[in-house]
Amino acid sequence: MPIHRLSSTDVRPAEVIDAGTDTAPDTDRPWIVLVWNDPINLMSYVTLVLQKLFGYSLEKATELMLDVHNKGRAVVSSGTREHAEFDVYRLHEHGLWATMQREDA
Amino acid sequence: MGNNATRRCVVVARKNKGPVTRLDATSYSLNIDASDRTTLNGLLDQLRDVLMHDSSSDIARRLFPAAYHQDEQHEQEYQRLMRDELLSSRLASLSLTTSLLERETNSDSIVLSADELDALMRSINSLRLVLGTLLDVDEDEFEAHLAEDDPAYGQYQLYSYLGWLLDWIVTVQTEFN
Repeated sequence: MPIHRLSSTDVRPAEVIDAGTDTAPDTDRPWIVLVWNDPINLMSYVTLVLQKLFGYSLEKATELMLDVHNKGRAVVSSGTREHAEFDVYRLHEHGLWATMQREDA
Repeated sequence: MGNNATRRCVVVARKNKGPVTRLDATSYSLNIDASDRTTLNGLLDQLRDVLMHDSSSDIARRLFPAAYHQDEQHEQEYQRLMRDELLSSRLASLSLTTSLLERETNSDSIVLSADELDALMRSINSLRLVLGTLLDVDEDEFEAHLAEDDPAYGQYQLYSYLGWLLDWIVTVQTEFN
């Protein structure tokens, strides 16, 4: 987005910035996909989307959803850049606020 | 995130059964009357207009979020490749939803396939994203604090109605799993 406000845990991504220097080769660090908290998407909806897109159990999807809700974000998948882009696209299709970055970025 | 308080939506006294019920493993029934379906289709028309013509507002940014928030070059490349695809996907979902809502206008229920229910779910959620962004909602309860003469009262009621409907759509799928 960015969304206007994240009421409980305002840890939304900063404005788009230059990532700067990257010392490690692309292959050294996988890409991770993050889902960020927002005040609009229903908790039940986020849980269902995570189950549908990633095949997570209800318990795992609920745990990730609660991480998003309580901590502001959660890593929902990881892998190659192409795979991460595909996952981000599917999450955006479902209206979730997802981004991707290199692990430990 | 929003919570399930939307179940307490008081927009309209609803039927005893929920607005969505499962018929069998692959089909569902949408139990809302023709008037509500017409209202939803009007909202979907407005959403389609936003998708087609708005590319810079907060609403557009919410419907087409950044994928790379730490890398502007990758972000530009991603949007160049994926934005049109995301737009096409959203429009296809809207088109399917509109057509299913126009079925069986003399009945208070419509039989839906799983794919149609998914399209309906994503369309309803997109409407909530637009309305929620317009209203700048937060996670707190808002209905109780809003006077009926507030100019935004109607939009809040609509937002609550959509949340109530979406929660039922989610529940009917979750109970099946």
